[in-house]
Amino acid sequence: MRNVDLHHGAASDVGLVRTVNEDSYLVAPPVFVVADGMGGHSGGDVASQMVVEEFQRLAESYDPARGAEQVADTFARAQARIVDYGNAHRAMTPGWHAGTTAVVAVLVDDHGVAKWLLANLGDSRIYRITEGRLEQISVDHSVVQELIDAGQITAEQAATHPERHVITRALGSPEGIDPDFFLLPLGSVERLLLCSDGVTGMIEDKEIEDILETVADPRDAADKLVRAAVAAGGRDNATAIVVDVVGLVKDATYDSRRQLESLEHKLGGRL
Amino acid sequence: MSTDARFAPGDWYAVVGEHVTVLLPGSQRDRVASLWELADSGASADAVLDALVAGGLSSLDHVALVAHGDDSTRLLVRGAPTATVVATEGEEIVSAAPGTTWAERLVTGVTSVRVTLTGDSDADHPLTPGIARVSVVEFGTPSAAAPAPPTEPVVAEPVEQPVAEPVAPVVAEPEPEPAAPMSFGEPEDDPTPTGETPVVEADDWSDRDGHTVTGPPAPDFDRPPIPGQEIAPEVVSQPVASLVFSTGDVVLVDRTVLVGRAPEARRFASHDQPHVVTVASPHQEISSTHLEIRPGAGADHGSAIATDLGSTNGTVLAQPGLDPEELKPGIAVSLVPGAVLDLGDGVTIQVTNP
Repeated sequence: MRNVDLHHGAASDVGLVRTVNEDSYLVAPPVFVVADGMGGHSGGDVASQMVVEEFQRLAESYDPARGAEQVADTFARAQARIVDYGNAHRAMTPGWHAGTTAVVAVLVDDHGVAKWLLANLGDSRIYRITEGRLEQISVDHSVVQELIDAGQITAEQAATHPERHVITRALGSPEGIDPDFFLLPLGSVERLLLCSDGVTGMIEDKEIEDILETVADPRDAADKLVRAAVAAGGRDNATAIVVDVVGLVKDATYDSRRQLESLEHKLGGRL
Repeated sequence: MSTDARFAPGDWYAVVGEHVTVLLPGSQRDRVASLWELADSGASADAVLDALVAGGLSSLDHVALVAHGDDSTRLLVRGAPTATVVATEGEEIVSAAPGTTWAERLVTGVTSVRVTLTGDSDADHPLTPGIARVSVVEFGTPSAAAPAPPTEPVVAEPVEQPVAEPVAPVVAEPEPEPAAPMSFGEPEDDPTPTGETPVVEADDWSDRDGHTVTGPPAPDFDRPPIPGQEIAPEVVSQPVASLVFSTGDVVLVDRTVLVGRAPEARRFASHDQPHVVTVASPHQEISSTHLEIRPGAGADHGSAIATDLGSTNGTVLAQPGLDPEELKPGIAVSLVPGAVLDLGDGVTIQVTNP
């Protein structure tokens, strides 16, 4: 774990339509979080901030060997806080609710080997660049994704479906939480992207791929993604975190040369 | 109209059945095998069309379909192909206008149909039921648009010309189904913005995100399994088997075990994190996520079951007393103690009692 060197960048923008940024994010290597809050009037922004605070606390005493367990515990603590907060508000304002999505990336120690542990609740997304291609890792917890999985609608129909913004799992949900986890070898992730749907709802995956492929510095890449989402209309808060693993060579040899070149490039030829 | 057919060689596929002919670009190889099965079984034009669009229209930029009925000919073109139809009532050129889904015609009294895919070569090879690589196909007596002299009798066509390619190689090579645990949507499946305007109210709720809302509780929602993947079993209290790797690793099957060169575990809950076993593969014979072994459910309760996850080079299973067999991708097989799984690159897994 000590020899994994991470380069990262993050950006967030309220967009052109909203007056409050309900997205929150955390960059506390090796812990990264994007949360997209919902339920206005001190609801969504507080809920997403609570998730970030809980993961900040995790980052301060993080044990990579117990990564999955600690992330699950952190979700549970954030859930309890948001539900309490919602209950307190509902006592005064019936019908009030607060909830948030969350996508999380942490490095874990899996029997002595560093890996990415990723987790998802809601419709924020985790992508990776692998073999030069963009690939979505997380699967949205949304009504349209379930309809797609069931074969009832196509991805094209999902784009215009009236319930396309309805998510089926979230922190703050009274039914409890059930995050999806993913465990990926470090070498299979050339670049990692965590983002809110204010990015993916505004720009096409192709444009995301182009930016992640062409902008070498992860800080610039995160900036450019968010600016592109705002330029495309900015209908929602947009947040992106881009993480590069540097200083790592895969077990296989066939692409080590390419990786070295990419590393050289990222470090500005100072290798 | 006579159903004599001819073609000019090219890189499009012609899937020629008794009643229906489908023309697809070379990039649509995946669709060809299943369409041929249908066309060969004498399926109707509607059945073939169903199968054709089942994979979604977005991946089907170009296609042409010609179906011969008793007294009429049905013609459908999408994208690049253009068709020249000569009927007793005159001649018509059918092509899909840019931006439209397709152009369709039902024409009676047809004497000839010429479908041009690429180029404009003479269609002088006889087209017989089967699969051919074509650039132009022609049915009936050659149309005026065809360069071939209309008076030339069809029987005079050179018979030494190659006929339709044998079907077997195409049918035998369908891509294996992708392994279920890795079957996620393509990036282009992503819902895209639609230009809708969010509701922004002027009251105290003006900060509300008009987009994302939590859904109503749907306890009875029948969450479908990922196609091809059985519902993942819960972690079992007693391991059902022990896996002895040729590398020396010993792993108990008390939950899902994923084996590969650089295995990835997807969509698991925090309480059932799979065992991930990485094996070296200096010759790249082993896929990154190659094989899954997990406790069986239902009829397989109490035993371990193995599934090849669509690996590139496959997995060979030798069960005691049986001939070694290649695992079919995505098909789970129950393992008995003494079974040996061979992943390639010298890596084997012996199954023993826990």
